[in-house]
Amino acid sequence: MARRTHEDALGVAGAETIIGTGVIVHGNLESESDIIIDGTLDGQIKTAGNVTLGINAIVKADIQGSNVTIAGSLKGNINAEGEAVIRETGHVEGDIRCLGLSIATGGVFSGRSFMEAPPRLDPDIAVDGVEPPEPAGPAPRKPSRGNKE
Amino acid sequence: MYYYIVNPAAGRGQVKNLQDKLRTRLTQLGISGEWVKTTGSGDATKLTRAAVAAGHTTVVAVGGDDTVNEVINGIDHDNVAVGIIPIGSTNRVATQLGIVTWPQACEALAARRLTPYSLIAAGQKFFLSTLTLGFETDLDKQVDTDLTGLRARIGQFQQSLGHARNYSSLHCKIDVDGQYKLECDLFTLSIANQKFLNPLADNRLIVSLSDRPGQALKLGQMVWSTLRNRAQGALGDEHTTTRFLANRVVIETDPPTGIMVDGKVTSRTPIAIRLTDRRVRFITEKVVADFKNAVSPTRS
Repeated sequence: MARRTHEDALGVAGAETIIGTGVIVHGNLESESDIIIDGTLDGQIKTAGNVTLGINAIVKADIQGSNVTIAGSLKGNINAEGEAVIRETGHVEGDIRCLGLSIATGGVFSGRSFMEAPPRLDPDIAVDGVEPPEPAGPAPRKPSRGNKE
Repeated sequence: MYYYIVNPAAGRGQVKNLQDKLRTRLTQLGISGEWVKTTGSGDATKLTRAAVAAGHTTVVAVGGDDTVNEVINGIDHDNVAVGIIPIGSTNRVATQLGIVTWPQACEALAARRLTPYSLIAAGQKFFLSTLTLGFETDLDKQVDTDLTGLRARIGQFQQSLGHARNYSSLHCKIDVDGQYKLECDLFTLSIANQKFLNPLADNRLIVSLSDRPGQALKLGQMVWSTLRNRAQGALGDEHTTTRFLANRVVIETDPPTGIMVDGKVTSRTPIAIRLTDRRVRFITEKVVADFKNAVSPTRS
């Protein structure tokens, strides 16, 4: 589930954070945009955007983000507002909390998963001034015009 | 009244040939003002301070990035606007603000569309556009990149590639906002204000770094794009492998190395670089508010 806003699309929210191969990070990585890691990180990752761990990533951290994709190695918990995806080369040791979980063949997941169902709209409640839909059934007949009885 | 600070040495002295045309056009546009010439390094900063103290509210740098940088270092009032007429060898700042030619710059000065930018402090020096260290900074000592023409460009590329092959990556440690520390080998590093690259983004430091590519072809492409970006006054990060946003970074390298701000080596590592509260209003080609409304008419 993509949560990119109009601001993100225009780049107003700022450039994405990229940690390349061969880079070692110690500490807490916080961002308002997407984070892509292909290096080594020890700490915490928190963002309003998406988090992607590349194939070379070795990360010991709890991750909080919108959608989280793992193609590298992660020791830590994932808290995703949207989907969590473990790719073919991904390895996750930790718990995952998300709305949707996908594990590709070859991907490794060792931990517990907690799936939260998305909130459902009650059809009887009007949203933003829009009237709730009519209940299903035969439509009421409108008085016809021009027909002679 | 507009206060024009002219660097007579900028762009290999091309201001001499342009001066009459420039003055005529500015008079036609109704923005002729006071003209002063710099006589040496640091002169534009002193002249700007004097102009601001005398009550001028628009200071125009007629020169390249170096002149612009000296001008912004002399501004300490919020009500002063800075304009640029780009006639230097490197005009990255003007290019990034949408101003490419001198006639266009004159029109922009008359239109007076203002965009505020936060300045970046590197030690005691303030700058707007780019700070670099590593290979790109070292390249300046090795290769004369001011020469133009196909033959000169081919020569520069050959020299630069030879230098790149022998250049050893620096071991670098960066403290980012006191939140995390980053350690890596780096070939080049550049820092700019994010808003400078994307007028819709917030004022924040954008730090881009790249390691030396393993393949000769990629190294060649990297060297070529470095030379091309310099020639065009553009800021390229097509070879960036790591990029992040920050408000303050402290950079240490092993071995210590020189830092280049807007094309001039100003200090050495270790150094703290931070985004400041000091804002300068630049006369730009496009006004950001209009652009925002054009792309997002529903936003209030």
